[in-house]
Amino acid sequence: MDAGILLLIAGLVLLSGSALAAFAWAARDGQFEGLDGASSVIFDADETMREDSDCFPDAASRAARDGAGGHA
Amino acid sequence: MSSLLDSLNPAPRTDAIACAERAEIDRSLRAPVLLFFVSGIAWLLLGSLLGLLSAVKMSMPHFLDSADWLTFGRVRPAHLNTVIYGWASSVGIGVGIWLMGRLCRVALRHRGLLIAAGIIWNMGVAAGTIGILAGQSRSIEWLEFPGWATPVLFIAYALIGVWGVIMFRFRQPGHVYVSQWYLLAAFLWFPWLYATANVLLIWHPVQGSVVGAVNWWYGHNVLGLWFTPIGLASAYYMIPKVLGRPVHSYYLSMLGFWSLALFYSWNGMHHLIGGPFPAWMISASVVASVMMFIPVITVAINHHMTMRGHFDYLKWSPTLRFTVLGAMTYTAVSFQGSLMAIPSLNAITHFTDYTIGHAHLGLYGFFTMTMFGAMYYIVPRLVGWEWPSARMIRWHFWLSASGIALMFAALTLGGFLQGLELNDPEVSFITSVQIVAPFRVVRTFAGILLMAAHLVFAVLFIRMLLRHGERREGPTLLANPASPEVSTPAV
Repeated sequence: MDAGILLLIAGLVLLSGSALAAFAWAARDGQFEGLDGASSVIFDADETMREDSDCFPDAASRAARDGAGGHA
Repeated sequence: MSSLLDSLNPAPRTDAIACAERAEIDRSLRAPVLLFFVSGIAWLLLGSLLGLLSAVKMSMPHFLDSADWLTFGRVRPAHLNTVIYGWASSVGIGVGIWLMGRLCRVALRHRGLLIAAGIIWNMGVAAGTIGILAGQSRSIEWLEFPGWATPVLFIAYALIGVWGVIMFRFRQPGHVYVSQWYLLAAFLWFPWLYATANVLLIWHPVQGSVVGAVNWWYGHNVLGLWFTPIGLASAYYMIPKVLGRPVHSYYLSMLGFWSLALFYSWNGMHHLIGGPFPAWMISASVVASVMMFIPVITVAINHHMTMRGHFDYLKWSPTLRFTVLGAMTYTAVSFQGSLMAIPSLNAITHFTDYTIGHAHLGLYGFFTMTMFGAMYYIVPRLVGWEWPSARMIRWHFWLSASGIALMFAALTLGGFLQGLELNDPEVSFITSVQIVAPFRVVRTFAGILLMAAHLVFAVLFIRMLLRHGERREGPTLLANPASPEVSTPAV
């Protein structure tokens, strides 16, 4: 068989296997559980929900450091 | 009262620590992300110029034809490859690196690896572009770089992929956000696509019609499995983040990701309907193309419902204006792609400008717009300076939005009429060529608008890097919002 085809099949097996492994790992790790709260992981104590975060970081840093609140 | 209570408790504030950690992550990401952004913008300008030159040559074939390297057969593939690998891939990698850093919640590891990858990547793109202009194009669409340039790109990409795995391995424990899933998948899918296509087309070339199958498999998947996941990762982060509200349905976002992973890679063969291929191959591709309605509808519902009641933000947030337009275009271009897989419509649109319009809508209307939106959010956090001119952002938006709208309309309408003529045995071939001539003039005008948009953005970006203008305390907004966060120069 042509070396290119062998390489292709090896790659396909490897990548398909890694996709399956990723799915299995996600299921085992509980990544498909508690999805309601999962959407909020992008928010932090200083980049909170209910406040827009499209702001200049130094201003946010100063506001947090000074305890002045402000939008983060 | 609040400050009095704070004084009673000498322990550091939790949000101050979180803020410091986030600032540290952004600082660690600065050099490699800016390297990819700066080089991406340089390639965008060159790629736009080459594209504009190609468009002019479609109407005036003898324009600048005195030198070999300026002929259409070299300029057009140079445009394609500089835009795909120079602009879109570079900016996508930059945005991907930043998002991975933010979502893994750890400072950048192995910065030197990424900087080396960025330099090697740009050397590969430069060498490949020179090779095409020197006449060494391989005449395989989207893979025109000479064979000696592609290993350079692959080495650079391998370094980025290794970095991505390391970052994920050392991330903070917790839930893997949907944007991370998209990015991880993109970081794995691209080397698979690129290596497979190069092995089968260049290093151990297959023969005959299989070349077309591999070529379209690659060409279609590089859009859907490389650029699309990065664009969606950015939209899934930027829209909720800027609005300060979580995505409408996380269930739908996961369904969208896994169904994209399942169906997209089968789609490419719908470009070969009617070609010399096994019927099952084409049928499977048509079915998978129609199944793409599932991930597309889930994404569309999710983004729309997240935005619902907050569309006024589009009036003043540059990030949201670009990102939401990109996300809406994703829905439109995906619906169009699924419909193009239906044989009766495909018989008309195949071999016409209609397909070119579809590709431009995907790569520019969706992906590039989303990347512009992400850059408006990311760059101030890297540079420590706010965008110096809301007016220039407005010009950038309206020039690029009107440019891509006009280009898409001209190519789609012209291509459809061209297809009708091509399918009519009573009509001569030259008639089908003449009917698209006025649409190609409009396409050139649209190219001028896009070129102008990119020049405005490049100037704005340079001003940003030089920290030009007055220091601002808030974001540069397009208009004053009702809320108090109005951009005002610091006194």
